[in-house]
Amino acid sequence: MIKMAAHCDFSSLELLMKASSKEKVVKVCNDVYVMGSSQSDGLLSSVCESLGTRPNETKKMIESLSSVLKTIIFHGYTEPQEIQSLFPKDFHKNLRDLITKIALDNMNTWKTHSISTQVSLPRLVDFDWRVDTKMASDSVSRTSVPTCILQMKVQENQTDVKTTPENHNINVELSKETLDTMLDGLSKIRDQLSSVARR
Amino acid sequence: MDLSERGLTAGKLVDMKWKLGVAVCSDECKSLNSPFVAMTLKVADASGKISTHTFELTIPQFQNFSEQMKDMAARMEMI
Repeated sequence: MIKMAAHCDFSSLELLMKASSKEKVVKVCNDVYVMGSSQSDGLLSSVCESLGTRPNETKKMIESLSSVLKTIIFHGYTEPQEIQSLFPKDFHKNLRDLITKIALDNMNTWKTHSISTQVSLPRLVDFDWRVDTKMASDSVSRTSVPTCILQMKVQENQTDVKTTPENHNINVELSKETLDTMLDGLSKIRDQLSSVARR
Repeated sequence: MDLSERGLTAGKLVDMKWKLGVAVCSDECKSLNSPFVAMTLKVADASGKISTHTFELTIPQFQNFSEQMKDMAARMEMI
């Protein structure tokens, strides 16, 4: 859920001015956007360390910053004015402009991150394959049939917030005919993809 | 790949269904336009019991998968 920037406590963002360098502010923004949704304790300590601030005052800032950044990424703003208009008129101008620049610079990276963590079916994360020749089996004493083994690693959706989701393996053996049929299907997907890309 | 996982423990691919989708928007991005491929594989084990596995691939993953399946077919031709 995004708490829209309209309800954000902008004054708490001024804690960012305690950063000793612009790079520290960039790091804080990045940490807040990327780690913000996973409710990790690591985020609070990382930000406190970057700014040299105490946890109590930092918590509020993180909440507000997260709300602002999420609003910006949600709308996909491309113009600085669109982002600047989110801030109150009396907000510290340099800080406002710095946050605006950081958001614009990181827009694509953060959007990609958002896509990788969005609602999804279990994801294929890796696969291996091998081509074998079947020389014999319990039913045939001599043979020479090519066959392939495909192992796919699928990562399930997280069920427990604190643990990494499990991977499970799918091992399949494919005959030449099965593989050819699969390739047919894959080429249909490729065709559809090019027509989607053209639109 | 672990040799003990070959042949006797790999199931036979019985069916492959697919869907090409485009994620339009999400709670985090109002405008996404992000394509993805979803697949359901039906695998029969040695006893004939069929299990289904459904998963998503990003487009780069799909392209990599597709290329490697073509490689695999080419290798099979050489045997």
